[in-house]
Amino acid sequence: MSQTFSGPVVAVAEHVKGRLSPVSLELAACARELASALGSQARLMVLAEGVEPLAHEAARLTGLAVIGVEVAGLSHFSGEAYRRLLSDLLPGWSPCCVLAAHTTSGLEWAPGLSVRLGGAFISGVESWRMDEDGPVFGRTTHHGKLVDQVQAQALPMVLTVQPGSFTAPEQSPERPGPVEIISHDMPPCRARVRPVLEKPERDAALGAASVVVAAGRGVGQQENLEPLRRLAGLFSNAALAGSRPVCDLGWLGYGQQVGLTGSTVSPRLYLACGISGARQHTVGMQGAGFIVAINSDPRAAIFNLADVCVVEDLHAFIPTLLELAAGPPNSPD
Amino acid sequence: MRILCLIKQASEPESRFDLQQGRLLLRQPLRAKMSSYDEYALEAALGFKDAMPDTQLTALTLGPPACDAVLQRALGMGADQAVRLDDQDGVVTRPLAVASAMAAWAGSQGFDLILAGVMSEDAMQGAVGPMLAELLDLPLVTGAVELALGPDDASLVIQREMEGGLRQEVTLPLPAMVTINSGQSQPRYPTLSKLLKAKQTPPVVVEPAAPDPPREVVIETGLPGKTRAGLVLEGDTASKASQLLALLRERALL
Repeated sequence: MSQTFSGPVVAVAEHVKGRLSPVSLELAACARELASALGSQARLMVLAEGVEPLAHEAARLTGLAVIGVEVAGLSHFSGEAYRRLLSDLLPGWSPCCVLAAHTTSGLEWAPGLSVRLGGAFISGVESWRMDEDGPVFGRTTHHGKLVDQVQAQALPMVLTVQPGSFTAPEQSPERPGPVEIISHDMPPCRARVRPVLEKPERDAALGAASVVVAAGRGVGQQENLEPLRRLAGLFSNAALAGSRPVCDLGWLGYGQQVGLTGSTVSPRLYLACGISGARQHTVGMQGAGFIVAINSDPRAAIFNLADVCVVEDLHAFIPTLLELAAGPPNSPD
Repeated sequence: MRILCLIKQASEPESRFDLQQGRLLLRQPLRAKMSSYDEYALEAALGFKDAMPDTQLTALTLGPPACDAVLQRALGMGADQAVRLDDQDGVVTRPLAVASAMAAWAGSQGFDLILAGVMSEDAMQGAVGPMLAELLDLPLVTGAVELALGPDDASLVIQREMEGGLRQEVTLPLPAMVTINSGQSQPRYPTLSKLLKAKQTPPVVVEPAAPDPPREVVIETGLPGKTRAGLVLEGDTASKASQLLALLRERALL
């Protein structure tokens, strides 16, 4: 298969309530890397009503050439509008690659767009490398236990990029990128969308904690949270958190959820208890200073990003740990 | 209302995987179950059926005959009918191939609502539902956590969950496609009577058209690399616990 990758790499920014989402800067970083390797150009596209301030902010923060698409009536995110607008606009640039965030919103337009454009779709991209046929994209599957290396057989390659996988430069570039503003009519949409709302319950203690004890599906039962609560009590500024399944069960509030649809935390110490290590969770805690993972499955993906791995059953290990921690410091082990 | 729910048989998260020369081996012996997000989608569909008993719920999967087990579970939970698009060799796995086969069958059936899990538990692509919506030209919402029928009975009011705990309300006219995230409505267990009945009603098996050439290909499957030291503590439970305490104290974390 021989393909040319001369068309630009177009990243489509995600923004909420008039602010660029952090993942947009990661998309820009990924687009810049890919374009440089392919010998093409990187572009960042922003779609909104009143797009100009957002487009300039994007150009200032990324240094990339920004295309701001002014769409009267696109005041809230609508996947349907994005799908229609991008399938109208993108063929004009003949992109080799279109980047979306691997988020609820990105998944509302990117897969359908790939179908419409006759391109490839590669979901949840976390890494890439070049081989002689072009870029090969890495994505994890099976709760993070396996990594597939995927190559496109058609262009454009529409990718959703896993948040937290590419690093935006810490400092803004010296010069903002050029901004081009174009206008486009709002396409007819069947979905009626309302403004984005914050969920009310956000756990303040979680954001401020220097130690987070996190419970995953592996805790098994609600009463097994009690030893974890006591474990958290060993530290001076600790909070109890959970992965999504634990919060879905109502064992912890959604305000205590860590991960893509919950909070992102970076405490000094993160104790992951019975957590499998799927990307939806790890994206919310991978920045922790020191990570200890306790899981009975020696192949759990969480061990790949842990500083210390404890392959143990929680129900045996945590009480033992608590008992030893309570004992006199000089007791023989 | 006529509801279609897309179901996938997925390997359990605790399954062990064997790799040989970059290929995942022995798919069949992996313990398999219904992908958990699809269980939430079924529960959402059954919620409509509870409120409106004349609702007809069809569960659809694509795969080899071994996948009949998840269809039986769907019937056991309360679906009225089960359909399997037959993929004897388990080779139709790319999302567009699955969505195309499902669109070819579902397009003519007149469903008011199509539900699916937000992603599958194994491949985790989140693409089949959105691609099916595109192929059938249905309005789409991804990542829904609450669904209710609109006052006109012809629309759906949906709460979708976004990143960082944000929410958005979207109203879609029916027919529509919605992918469901996990939430507080825990999927119900199958009842024994329905399961027994399900065993006597084999799924409708449909031969899908041959898939188009793939637009992307998995060239290798491997294990993820480690991003941190990953010091594995050895010894018995008490020894590991005291090593961990020592490590935490050493780093002034405790």
